[in-house]
Amino acid sequence: MASSSSSGLTFKLHPLVIVNISDHYTRVKSQLSLPPSLTSTSSAATSNNNNNNSNGGENNQNPPPRVYGCVIGVQRGRTVEIFNSFELIYDPSTRSLDRSFLEKKQELYKKVFPHFYVLGWYSTGSDAQESDMHFHKALMDINESPLYVLLNPAINPAQKDLPVTIYESELHVIDGVPQLIFVRSSYTIETVEAERISVDHVAHLKPSGGSAATQLAAQLTGIHSAIKMLNSRIRVLHQYLVGMQKGDIPCESSLLRQVSSLLRRLPAIESEKFQDDFLMEYNDTLLITYLAMFTNCSSTMNELVDKFNTTYDRHSRRGGRTAFI
Amino acid sequence: MDSTIAQKTWELENNILAVEAPDPSSDFIFYYDEVAQAMSLKAKPWANDPHFFKRVKISALALLKMVIHARSGGTIEVMGLMIGKTDGDAIIVMDAFALPVEGTETRVNAQADAYEYMVDYSQTNKQAGRLENVVGWYHSHPGYGCWLSGIDVSTQMLNQQFQEPFLAVVIDPTRTVSSGKVDIGAFRTYPEGYKPTDDPISEYQTIPLNKIEDFGVHCKQYYALNISYFKSSLDCHLLDLLWNKYWVNTLSSSPLLGNGDYVAGQLSDLAEKLEQAENHLTHSRIGPLGTSRKKVIKDILFNSVRQSK
Repeated sequence: MASSSSSGLTFKLHPLVIVNISDHYTRVKSQLSLPPSLTSTSSAATSNNNNNNSNGGENNQNPPPRVYGCVIGVQRGRTVEIFNSFELIYDPSTRSLDRSFLEKKQELYKKVFPHFYVLGWYSTGSDAQESDMHFHKALMDINESPLYVLLNPAINPAQKDLPVTIYESELHVIDGVPQLIFVRSSYTIETVEAERISVDHVAHLKPSGGSAATQLAAQLTGIHSAIKMLNSRIRVLHQYLVGMQKGDIPCESSLLRQVSSLLRRLPAIESEKFQDDFLMEYNDTLLITYLAMFTNCSSTMNELVDKFNTTYDRHSRRGGRTAFI
Repeated sequence: MDSTIAQKTWELENNILAVEAPDPSSDFIFYYDEVAQAMSLKAKPWANDPHFFKRVKISALALLKMVIHARSGGTIEVMGLMIGKTDGDAIIVMDAFALPVEGTETRVNAQADAYEYMVDYSQTNKQAGRLENVVGWYHSHPGYGCWLSGIDVSTQMLNQQFQEPFLAVVIDPTRTVSSGKVDIGAFRTYPEGYKPTDDPISEYQTIPLNKIEDFGVHCKQYYALNISYFKSSLDCHLLDLLWNKYWVNTLSSSPLLGNGDYVAGQLSDLAEKLEQAENHLTHSRIGPLGTSRKKVIKDILFNSVRQSK
């Protein structure tokens, strides 16, 4: 497998796809290996899963099952955006893809997401294999150049990078024979605001349905961690540059160029129009905060007056003090 | 280290339940035990107790799908179905899918159109190895809070008669995006004529004036369930790594810019409520100064829920 793609397409992956694949894999894996409390009744249940190597009752003894599915999304020009995915039925031993199932699923998804179409397929495993090429070729009649998204389900706590790789297929001439091989491509993670919030919510399992105080705290924590991240990344860059200056690290001009272009972009917003807009927004926000504080104040004042009246009311039957000392 | 002490203090003050690092055994929630499910379907312990189900557990995937779908509808209400199973007094939602219908407020029999889609989808799901059944429906209330409207209540009551166990979930995508927190509520209706023995104090939420009557008339006919979320160990791992990539989005998104109109709408609604309160006051009899008048204003402003019998 070659190391980098040359097709020039940029890929954007949505977190939903990642969670989808992970869920599919977890489901299939847990249907295979039963919880210990149910091992006695295992025989009835194991017939329910549809994976070939069924061998219930023992965890992690079998090679983890591979799941297959399809990814859908949009391609606009040179940008490919992968939004969603769904499962497919594939039999690796006979290498047959269930076509009618695929078509049915496509139809269903078309009804709800009319803009998306099949972009490729996904699977789990640690590395792309030769046998994957068959699946890849099978999908080629739906999309001439499908993508292959590979998720590595092995949980490695030392890992810093997402174990997701996107492969494209390219025609290379190897030993005089033109062959299709997989080449890796880079991708970025793209989110919509709602997606980001729910991913954030689930990732950190913040307390749900809290009062305004906890909501504010939660949002501020999110921003705080983001800023911490930014800070640490800048520190890394700084140390790298210092090291280069001292001569510890060999100079790499392409990296230097990137850093300098980044720095040159920094004081980007100094035009007057921006200042005007910014101040307007700022004023609006301050105004609304002022209004909110006002409402809060009047409510508190109201309560104070009520309490005052209750305690010192001369005409009430409940009595209480008659004079305010 | 200072930061750990600060974090622990903050966690304590905010009652954050520490989520233990999920070990693979917690993934067993993903296992679908057909025998046990069939048994509980036959036994129907919810038939006798209208308050039987108390908790809802939603999977990360289901939440993600529902929120994205709700947001993609913009200001139009969208709906979908949820797949899962029951576990004692909890309903577990494993997945959700969207239905190709819109506008549940006006079309009472939107469900009938969607049945064909639902049957097709369920069949293909079972083939692909997702063995759970439909356990509920969700829909969105863009901008006006999580509660069940009159039509929603009647739909849900029908569902609870014929498709038990069934759950109703409401999501407000506009408030989610503007507050940065997922605005979601899970409800079950009481059967006709049932009066709840204790009156649960529901959390106050602002509801626009044009919807408040609908809310008030029906708010006693259903109760809210506690929602908790779960994710698999692989999900945890992946989400942690994902954070490395999308912290940029967190910083770059500004809730102010995205929600300008929504906030303006809320403000004008509040102004209307104030005006209405004032009018109400001038028409009421002029009783003893101070307390009663202030009480009326406060009542209308902050607790404007008119309850019917």
